[in-house]
Amino acid sequence: MILPPLQYLRPASPAEAVTMLSEVDGSVVLAGGQTLLNMLKLDLAQPSALVDVHRIDGLRGVRTADDGTLVVGAATTYASLAAVRGHPVADMAAGLVDRQVRNRGTIGGNCCLNDPTNNFPPLLSALGARFRILGAAGERVLPADEFFLGTLATAVRPGELLTAIEIPPLPSNAVVAHEHLQVGADSWALARAVVRLDVTGGVVVDARVFLGAVYGSPLRLPEVERHLAGAAVTPSLADVAGLARDVDAADDVHCSAAYRREMAEVQLRRALLAAVQRSTR
Amino acid sequence: MTTEQIARTATRRFTGKPMPRKEDDRLLKAQGEFGDDTPVAHLGYLAFVRSPYAHARITAIDVSAAERVDGYLGCLLPEEVETLTDPYMELQGPPGDAEVDRCLASGGTVRFSGEPVVAVAGDSREAARDAAAAVVVEYEPLPHVVDAREAVREDAPLVHPQIGSNIAFDTLYDWGDIEFALEKADHVVEVDELHFHRFSSTPLECSAITVEYDAGVDTFTFTGGFATPQLATFNLAVALRHPANKLRVLSKDFGGSFGVKLNTHIPATAAALLSRKLGRPVRWTETRSEQHLMGGHGNERWFRNVKMALQADGTVLGLTYDALDDVGAYTRYEPLGGVIWTQVANACYQLKHLKVRYRSVYTNKGPVHPNRGYSRMQHLWLVERMMDIAAHRLGFDPVEFRLHNYVQPDQYPYTTVNGCVYDSGDLPLSLRKALDLIDYPGARRLQKEVAGTGKRIGIGIGSTLDSGTNNFGQARLVNAHLPFGGNTEGGLVKLGADGSVYATTGGVAFGQGHETTVAQVVADMLGVGYDDVHVQRGSDSALSAQTGFSGSYASQFAVTGIGAILNATKRLIREISLVAAATLGCTPEEIELADGTARVAGDPGRALPLAAVAGIVHFSPADLPADVAEEVGLVARSVYRAPFELPDLERKYGNLTLTYATQIHACVVEIDEETGHTKLLRYAMVDDCGTPINPMVIEGQVHGATVHGISAALFEHFAYDGDGQLAAGNFYDYHAATALDLPSFAYGNVVSPSPFTPIGAKGMGEGGGAPLHALSAAIQDALGDHGMVLESFNPPERVLALLRGLDAEKVKVLR
Amino acid sequence: MTRDITVTVDGKPETAAAQDRTLLVHWLRDALDKRGPKIGCDTGNCGACTVRWDGTLVKSCMVLAVQADGGTVETAASLSEEDGSLNPLQQSFKDHHALQCGYCTSGMLMTATDFLGSGEEVTEETTRRALKGNICRCTGYHNIVCAVRAAAGERP
Repeated sequence: MILPPLQYLRPASPAEAVTMLSEVDGSVVLAGGQTLLNMLKLDLAQPSALVDVHRIDGLRGVRTADDGTLVVGAATTYASLAAVRGHPVADMAAGLVDRQVRNRGTIGGNCCLNDPTNNFPPLLSALGARFRILGAAGERVLPADEFFLGTLATAVRPGELLTAIEIPPLPSNAVVAHEHLQVGADSWALARAVVRLDVTGGVVVDARVFLGAVYGSPLRLPEVERHLAGAAVTPSLADVAGLARDVDAADDVHCSAAYRREMAEVQLRRALLAAVQRSTR
Repeated sequence: MTTEQIARTATRRFTGKPMPRKEDDRLLKAQGEFGDDTPVAHLGYLAFVRSPYAHARITAIDVSAAERVDGYLGCLLPEEVETLTDPYMELQGPPGDAEVDRCLASGGTVRFSGEPVVAVAGDSREAARDAAAAVVVEYEPLPHVVDAREAVREDAPLVHPQIGSNIAFDTLYDWGDIEFALEKADHVVEVDELHFHRFSSTPLECSAITVEYDAGVDTFTFTGGFATPQLATFNLAVALRHPANKLRVLSKDFGGSFGVKLNTHIPATAAALLSRKLGRPVRWTETRSEQHLMGGHGNERWFRNVKMALQADGTVLGLTYDALDDVGAYTRYEPLGGVIWTQVANACYQLKHLKVRYRSVYTNKGPVHPNRGYSRMQHLWLVERMMDIAAHRLGFDPVEFRLHNYVQPDQYPYTTVNGCVYDSGDLPLSLRKALDLIDYPGARRLQKEVAGTGKRIGIGIGSTLDSGTNNFGQARLVNAHLPFGGNTEGGLVKLGADGSVYATTGGVAFGQGHETTVAQVVADMLGVGYDDVHVQRGSDSALSAQTGFSGSYASQFAVTGIGAILNATKRLIREISLVAAATLGCTPEEIELADGTARVAGDPGRALPLAAVAGIVHFSPADLPADVAEEVGLVARSVYRAPFELPDLERKYGNLTLTYATQIHACVVEIDEETGHTKLLRYAMVDDCGTPINPMVIEGQVHGATVHGISAALFEHFAYDGDGQLAAGNFYDYHAATALDLPSFAYGNVVSPSPFTPIGAKGMGEGGGAPLHALSAAIQDALGDHGMVLESFNPPERVLALLRGLDAEKVKVLR
Repeated sequence: MTRDITVTVDGKPETAAAQDRTLLVHWLRDALDKRGPKIGCDTGNCGACTVRWDGTLVKSCMVLAVQADGGTVETAASLSEEDGSLNPLQQSFKDHHALQCGYCTSGMLMTATDFLGSGEEVTEETTRRALKGNICRCTGYHNIVCAVRAAAGERP
């Protein structure tokens, strides 16, 4: 279980981190390391250097901006995030992986890896999160759909650093629901669906629907969203889940693509039903 | 106290009680000593370069870049191994004995993905890793085969071309007259094919082996997890062409074997060669990924053309099938599995006829090793599955059907179709207890209540046997020329110079609490306190306690290990009595041992503390009469010899195991109709392993075996893809059950003492795979007979397909 | 690159060399001969290497040794009472036969200690959830769950 040879760098600030990432060829960001270090053990990656950002104060912690936006430092651990009670992101963080990993794994790492089974990308997409990326040329802010580019791919370029994730406040008429099917009681996701419905007067005025664990996740389902917009909030709303039937999915050791596709539909239906129930409660 | 007295509950202070374990304090205080814990001066570290291909010719090996790595010490190449070693002994006769198996890929060919090709040593773990990564091996891929059904076809790629086929062992068992039964029976149920999948108990400690070669005395010392130290010595001696008396095999604390560490001698051979070559100690610490590639998989088995004959009243007459046992690329303990399953030929039932064609088949996959429930579990699952399928298809009540066909309590000792003798048990009582523990009537009510809610309830029963204490004579059924028969274990008990009691067993413990159970019986027999008995940790082949078969495997310690200790303790008691009698002026027969003294029975005032007995013998033997002084050394070593005869090779008939612990499991599952996800609601197991020595340890073993079975049935699968790559190469992809995946267990027991063993105890611990049977049955119960459960591995996707009728057409009621 | 790092381990400042790539678990085991943290996997799943680092429960196979420079680490060797006897949780493990081979035990104890000290409610469900990151291949968890609950004063 020995890592390949590498250099360890510990910048003191986000700016210094960006300088190191730009200047050291083959360097990558080490945040919580809960995935990256395992990839290195298995020789799945051979970076020349790890730029450790987990102790940079400016990258950690959660604060609420004046407009209600939740600003989450990219190196905020799941455990710290879970302590912010009552927010969908905190609820998600509280149950992630296991006790030890929650103390180290970071929301930024989860997003930058963008493994299809990861929890946060579809949820943050549904919540309309924005991603602050620092590079040598300065900072840019991307909405989720421009940040997540596909399986294991994001808009963060070599030499850049995700510094924060901004989650706008949920309007009071919004409900968020997510459902997933996992290996065992609570292990790797086989299929995941996240639904956000903004409801006024018993009618959906806006919908954001994402699948996880399928190909290219977080996978937005615009057609489902179109069908939901303007629909009355009743359990029959969930029937639109059938439109998810043809999404791309991949085989892996846990199940076939066909099963994963079908389960995505099932989880979407359940998430829609949960959202309806929450909305009408 | 005598052995006979120990057997009587009234005279036991410790035996039969849930004594806290002697092992625990050091382990709880992080003071255990496992394979990779021990610091060794001047240690070199070994890393293997492994094949990325399932089957390929090695065309070139270039170690020049490795030689430039800082800290590189040297390497071992396949051609050196060909020169320096002999192939490991093959158990099978011709033509399968033409297989050549060495510690590195032999004959210029790799035969499974993960097979070691080069062993590289560095002066640190990092140097070894970097040097191994720098070795360049060029391959020319060869056609491969990963499915045993394809491997037996005429045109299949050959794993070992010199054998001429992929069949390592091919035999026909035919007991009774199944053709007649199938012809005359009221009912015949036929199933095209069932499949028992590949998994392993994956002990949490991977292998760690340290080899130190002492040139001065030309001796190798091996430290690590060797589950059968003397057999390992023998295998190493043959491979290394080195005298067995110059090999020493040690284990200390040992983080699980469950059978799969019976083949540790193979990587140990490479470490030994490097240690001698480099002139320094060498350690190999296996990674989890390596463990999954070649640390030993359980036997995968196909059952084809299965037919069961039954009468209208529900009496099962017998069955027949063709077995293809996928042993992977090498027969490393195989093809013993081809005969070991016959220990439980009848499973739990009064079968009269059984006919099985059994073939051990090579594939380009990781070699199988004996895994908890080894080879019996596969057949037991098949029989229990067929019982369940027959009940469903013919409309028998699953409980009544089993009760009717079980071997009944008054039939013991019960002789099976092949001459094995089931020693004792009460299966009907065990089943009733198990059903009580899951509230069977309540579960049936729940089943009705949830109908139509999107959930289904399934109730399953798993009846199984845990056969223990092998008659090694059964190896002759594989190959008549093998020189094995019976079984022995050794034990050594001594009174030290200060009167302390020491005990050593030939066995090797990896969690079963041998230090504890040995101390319990020795303390009772010697009349000393439990804390007064010191039991050696681990094992040491240099101590005289071991016999050829010593080790921990095949659920036997409570019989063989304890039997040897009992015999040794009896011998020690005799010596103590001689000394005490000579000193106290009575006959040895008048001496009894109690309260830490040897005293004259009926006259407790005339007593000699054991320390005084030891003092006289060790420091003042002149005080003793010459005949006593010459006989007594207070070091008693004895062997327990299991009472076996050789089986009849012609009829393949004879008693192959001494004891049969039984386990009946019952469970209630909830299945999500939309996803196929199975949730365990209730789980109960009733164990019967005869007279208990430590009921706490027994229950712990039952829990552990239960979780291995549950996890295997629902989560664990060593699947290979079409390229022959292992798809579950680590704990990320191989989901070993976590605490959250499991419910609490309801445990019950029945005590049917074995009439054949020293204190009525039976070997136990392997468990017989009952959860695989019970979960298959529970899923079947939830399905009705819509789909048919013909696989032992049932993840959600498969269960969903079953809900839609999967495999229903493969089961036919012929009449 | 190799450098000396100093970490207070089980209450004692320890200085030893570490390569940049050295995992904390290897440094604790190889440089300091600490036997509490064990290695049972190579993917961060098994939890056998669990320690507390700066008061936080972590798997030491997913931390670089150099990251811990200047910090504190507690391994299972720190759990016993001062006189060397078992602490109540260790004793509860012994009483409930919550260990067999003992390989996972140090990690289990570290996680259970963290859980019991967290103030969280101790039920069967929360206990099982808390132990989820620690794999045991021997006990089937049942007795571990009982031992942890009993140590919290619950009657399982």
